[in-house]
Amino acid sequence: MATSTICVPGQRILRTDDDHISGNGTYTRNGYIYSTLVGYVFTQTNDDGKTIVEVRSSKTQNVVPSEDDIVTARVTNVNARFCKCSILSIGKTKLQEPFRGTLRKEDVRATEKDKVEMYKCFRPGDIIAAQVLSLGDAQSYLLSTSENELGVVIATSETGGTMVPISWCKMQCTKTLSEEFRKVAKVQPQFIEYSS
Amino acid sequence: MPVDSKRICGPEITKNPYNFLINGNEKGELIINGKRRDGRKPDQARPLFLRPGLISQAKGSAYIEQNHTKVICAVYGPREVIRKEDFSMKGQITCEFKFATFSCKKKRGHQQDSEEKDYSVQLLEALEPAVQLDKFPKSQVNLYLTVLQNDGSALAASITCASLALAHAGIEMFDLVVGSSVRIHGNEILVDPCEEEEFHSNTNIGVDEGGVVLGLMPSINQISALTSKGELNFDTTSQAVKTCIQNCQKVYPVLQNCLVNSLKEKD
Repeated sequence: MATSTICVPGQRILRTDDDHISGNGTYTRNGYIYSTLVGYVFTQTNDDGKTIVEVRSSKTQNVVPSEDDIVTARVTNVNARFCKCSILSIGKTKLQEPFRGTLRKEDVRATEKDKVEMYKCFRPGDIIAAQVLSLGDAQSYLLSTSENELGVVIATSETGGTMVPISWCKMQCTKTLSEEFRKVAKVQPQFIEYSS
Repeated sequence: MPVDSKRICGPEITKNPYNFLINGNEKGELIINGKRRDGRKPDQARPLFLRPGLISQAKGSAYIEQNHTKVICAVYGPREVIRKEDFSMKGQITCEFKFATFSCKKKRGHQQDSEEKDYSVQLLEALEPAVQLDKFPKSQVNLYLTVLQNDGSALAASITCASLALAHAGIEMFDLVVGSSVRIHGNEILVDPCEEEEFHSNTNIGVDEGGVVLGLMPSINQISALTSKGELNFDTTSQAVKTCIQNCQKVYPVLQNCLVNSLKEKD
């Protein structure tokens, strides 16, 4: 439920008790819920009958990749052991600036891991759906595509035509009908959103 | 930027105009008949103007004006840490404080000088406790502050301005930070000093001559930054800190109002 109350960082919203839990955009201190954002106060009731207090800002949310997030990334560099990607969006949120990610050979698929050939899975320029395995090292996030739903979503052939998947490991160019190897994602229809 | 070596210098007999300007300003009493040179009472701050969201390409921004002290701040991020640094589960904040070349009576360089670097560190220390750094692991938030015109209390104004810009950028914070500064002159405490009242270590010598700058998180009532200059007794310092806190508490509602109004305007 939305209220018209506007909060600023550090503003006390209400006292915490057994019925109220602090949600996104808030924190608890000395028994009170405080706001951490400039925005409107929202209250929601969860399954236990408790009320979650949230503050939602009108700005696009500040997101950074965290573990288990599904991200969309562009492959920038492929070699025999791993490929490098730049993470373009996290879930539904588009990033203003990309984050660097690494996809190692052993994280490409769940089965027959030792038979993976990176060059038969990804090419620079491919748009992939991947999951964040861990925050990785100081330079990049560690990604994984070891699920049927994850892998190459959009790719172009060597001649530059768009490609359509023909099996879980092959894509075909719509212009030249040439076939190329990819780790194809079985994209779930409920996750596809068409921009107008 | 490097110094332009090809620039033609003036004739040898020329005198530096700054010699006339600065000496003329720093002499004379700070308080005459209970009033300061610009007509303010000792405990009277200058009128304040705040406006968030001027810089369109930044994630968040803010502008502060206190008569002739004008500071603008831009916030970018959270973005990836570009330099190779140690892995950290906490976010980082970087802060770059700069006086614009034309902002002071004396021309400032294009590169950060030691005073500006010092202010950058002080600003960072004032803001870091207020920001929820664990919300953006491995990433950093960049703050850029530019003083467009300096008429004293630039650091205090910058603290206020930066926290406003952070709030406008939607960076999660425990509280806003409000900056305040005072000049101590003997028994008098001058709130929000302007350029000619500010403490200068080379000209204002003596006990109980100095300045104090303070950053306060008013809602949780914690001091995030405190610096003092000059030779001050303990009693004077504690009195100055109290005055600063009072002043911050006065400014806090202005900040809140300003943020609320900016949100209302958007809808």
